[in-house]
Amino acid sequence: MSFGSPSPRSPLVLALMFSSPLLADDLFLDNDPLPQVLTATRLKQSPAAVPGSMTVIDSELINASGARDISELLRLVPGMMVGNISGNQAAVNYHGTNASEARRMQVLIDGRSVYRAGLATVDWSDIPVAMEDIERIEVFRGPNTVSYGANALMAVVNIITRKPADSHGTRLKITRGQRGINDFYASQGMGWDSGDLRLSLSGQQDDGFDSDRTGADYRDNRRLNRFSLAVSQTLNENQSIDWQLNAKDGTNQRPYTYSPVFSGITAAGNNSDVIAKDYAGSLRWNLDINPDHSLYIQGSAQHWDRQQTWRACDAEISFSPELTQLWQLNPNYTERLARNIARFTGAPPGTAAEQALANQVLAQWRNGANKTLCGDIDQSARESRYDLELQDTLSLSDTLRLVSGMNYRYDRADSETYFNGTLDDTTWRAFGQLEWRATEHWLLQGGAMFEDTQLTGSSLTPRLAVNYLINPRHGLRAVYSEAVRSPDMFENSVNWSYQVTNLQPSAYGQTSARYFVRTRGPGDLEQERMRSRELGYNGYFTDWGLTVDVKLFYDEINGMISEPLRNNQYIASNSNSSRFSGTETQLDWRVSSTDRLRLTYAYVDAEASNPLDAQQTARNSGSAGWLRNWGQGWNSALFYYGADALNGYRFERVDTRLAKRIGLGKANLELAGILQQRLDNQPTTFVDNNYDERRVLYFSAELEF
Amino acid sequence: MPYCLPRKTPTLGRLLAGLCLVFAGLLCNLPARAADILLTGADDSPGVQSFVQALSELRPTDSVRFQPVASLPAPGQLPASTRLILLDLQSLDWRLQDAQGPATLVLRISRLQAHQRFGDVSPPHLSLLWSDPPLDRQLRLTRLVLPEARRVGVLFDSHSEFLLKELHQAALPLGLEVVTERWDNTNDSRPLQALLKNSDVLLGLDDPDLYNPKTVKNLLLSSYARQLPLIGPNAAFVRAGSLASTYSDQSDWLKILDELLDRPSSTWPRTLYPQHFKVLSNPQVARSLSIEPMNEASVATQLAEGEHRP
Repeated sequence: MSFGSPSPRSPLVLALMFSSPLLADDLFLDNDPLPQVLTATRLKQSPAAVPGSMTVIDSELINASGARDISELLRLVPGMMVGNISGNQAAVNYHGTNASEARRMQVLIDGRSVYRAGLATVDWSDIPVAMEDIERIEVFRGPNTVSYGANALMAVVNIITRKPADSHGTRLKITRGQRGINDFYASQGMGWDSGDLRLSLSGQQDDGFDSDRTGADYRDNRRLNRFSLAVSQTLNENQSIDWQLNAKDGTNQRPYTYSPVFSGITAAGNNSDVIAKDYAGSLRWNLDINPDHSLYIQGSAQHWDRQQTWRACDAEISFSPELTQLWQLNPNYTERLARNIARFTGAPPGTAAEQALANQVLAQWRNGANKTLCGDIDQSARESRYDLELQDTLSLSDTLRLVSGMNYRYDRADSETYFNGTLDDTTWRAFGQLEWRATEHWLLQGGAMFEDTQLTGSSLTPRLAVNYLINPRHGLRAVYSEAVRSPDMFENSVNWSYQVTNLQPSAYGQTSARYFVRTRGPGDLEQERMRSRELGYNGYFTDWGLTVDVKLFYDEINGMISEPLRNNQYIASNSNSSRFSGTETQLDWRVSSTDRLRLTYAYVDAEASNPLDAQQTARNSGSAGWLRNWGQGWNSALFYYGADALNGYRFERVDTRLAKRIGLGKANLELAGILQQRLDNQPTTFVDNNYDERRVLYFSAELEF
Repeated sequence: MPYCLPRKTPTLGRLLAGLCLVFAGLLCNLPARAADILLTGADDSPGVQSFVQALSELRPTDSVRFQPVASLPAPGQLPASTRLILLDLQSLDWRLQDAQGPATLVLRISRLQAHQRFGDVSPPHLSLLWSDPPLDRQLRLTRLVLPEARRVGVLFDSHSEFLLKELHQAALPLGLEVVTERWDNTNDSRPLQALLKNSDVLLGLDDPDLYNPKTVKNLLLSSYARQLPLIGPNAAFVRAGSLASTYSDQSDWLKILDELLDRPSSTWPRTLYPQHFKVLSNPQVARSLSIEPMNEASVATQLAEGEHRP
């Protein structure tokens, strides 16, 4: 069992020759038979033996950070680029790529992917999990499709909620502060002989950013409520089930961003707000066949409902059938005509057919089709996912472990605007990974994943890692891995057009008509492919309580789909590539029993064939934290976060949290104040994301009993 | 093979046995008369049989026998010269019904069980040989395998509370801080969670109300999730996933008994922790927690040396 020297029995015992091994017949060892709990299949590798780079944000850090969003916590991960599209839309990328579309990272909650297949995004703010329910976040920094499937391209964020068994009792928390911050959390956990459950309700509200580039109020408030139920039940000694139900309902404000194509239109709507509802349910059956063999089957169902109906205004000509026909013939020609329609007296040069249609359109424009119409645009999308996974862990010997499994996934997206109806996709996946502890020092881990997607075909991605353990606490690693990202339904198969309803006045006598622009995805996109190489060191210096992780990386993505998702002339292709190289460091130092220091730093050099893909890479970024327990219930935390350029804007912030814990009999009350102070004077990621004040203050009170 | 041969052997055997006896007598200063060693307990299990057999092989000059407690007369009616060894709590109950009777060694009794029966004062005619590992030894094991750990978390309930004072005293010279948490209802995990938050390592007391087949899973999984090792409470828990524990098995107890039986019963201690013991560790758990694999025998030797120091 040990990879060290076998322990010889005491010579005295040998002399007596009563050598009685730990067996049932020993009168002094016949305790109650206990099940083996921490078996070879349940135990994880030590940090030095992990085949890659890992950052764990533990519950102490989560609490001390005072963060209200999962995305904010990820600032603690070296190399993670955390930005904002708006106050209620975070944009999180590992190492970089496009600032407005973060789509190359896998995000899981208790093993269930929340990466939306239809629109290739992670809606961080809509994830139906309260911060207070999170036990820890494990971030695998680097591709890992073997363990997590396609889309685990640049990194994997694994959010692990508190086990029901670890969340007994009642917790009530409110948070109030500037910028309209108004959150609550309430949970009740209990246990019985064969199981445990936790029920939690939570809500979140804030005003988002204060002003856009013009200084006007920025419409990006959010308000949401969540429900979560998690149950664990033991069926017998070697079987258990875990199930969860999660729901989230809320509103995300969006500013009105439609700008009329045709000249002379001044009327406008005032918002394009989204009602966002998320539902998820999962059931997992765990079976321990024996201490060396276990498996689980997990089934989950998820539904994302984004209702986005808003009022927009443009000229009646937008609904001209001839203009629509012309767009289908030549979008460039049509756009040139439409944007300058008032200046043309005759059709611009083009083919005969184009000119004929253009002249008809111009005639309509002159005959009154230049009048303003307003109508409802329905940009809603509903996506569903059903997922079934079998994973088997087999410890073949003390030095050999095999993790293998299969996964079936069905995704369906339903949107009149984006897909002109419903689109679905089926994915099959098989994976296997072998860990071989060749000697006390050498550890070899390799695996592969095969995936077949109905819409994009199949792929095989290998992964190989060698760890050299200087001793159990210090290890060097070399990792080569390949990974793929399947284009999402939107990129590949979008069929984007607006059927506008409730038109006032009517367009060509109709109250419902189709807007002339229609965009289609190419339908033949291939998977993006990544090759990643990594050298790293992980060590734990016991005497100092210091953990260090350093990594050097060189990642290339080919066949990259970089075109932004826009409804005019979206021509997606696999023609781009990018390369990221650099180094990352992470230090966690428990200086004393009362002090903890944590430092992260990343230097990332990005090169991309499409400049958009180098947008969200800060060459230098990092964080520093100091947590201290002052005694008598007082705790403080001080964090610095910095990134030299995210989408061109500097980001530097210092967060301070001061908390006092007060015992009230069996209950505990914690009062905390959090002050976030921006050190820079720049917008956050995008020009419209501005705060009036560089500092925000909020308070929380939490009662636990 | 025992180092002395059984009595009923052929002539050559008898000769050898005689020689052996003379030697043993000279060397060990054995009591001149053969003693009557009576072991008793509720059932005659294979474990009991093998123990009795081993003891009789170890003490060839004595008469070693087992008799179920149900078949025995009241303790006072046994000859005063009998050396009585109790193997379970049923036999202890039988022994307690009579203040008179032979000197008695009580095996397989924990501090906790004794405290529940006798409180702080144990009956004078009994020698209680503790089955649970001594707290001081477990603490020193903790310090040896986890030198960086300072805060030792301990769960207790009303039955094991009396051990805390001793535990604090034992921890003091070792530079360890004992953090305690009362856990009266094991269906409620809050005390465990609170303790895990404030400890570097957990030390299990041998309290079956807290450490049992029902709680083992949650205890081990919750502490492992926080990367905190558990030390103790016994060998069975180490196999389940605890990092390490000291323990004494049959061979250790035989050595202890052999030494005690050599002495006049008037010199028997009132209570005794086994001075012979071993260390059991779970190498897989150690590996996963980045802890050096330990050489159990040398750790046990180191611990024993520490105990022999004044």
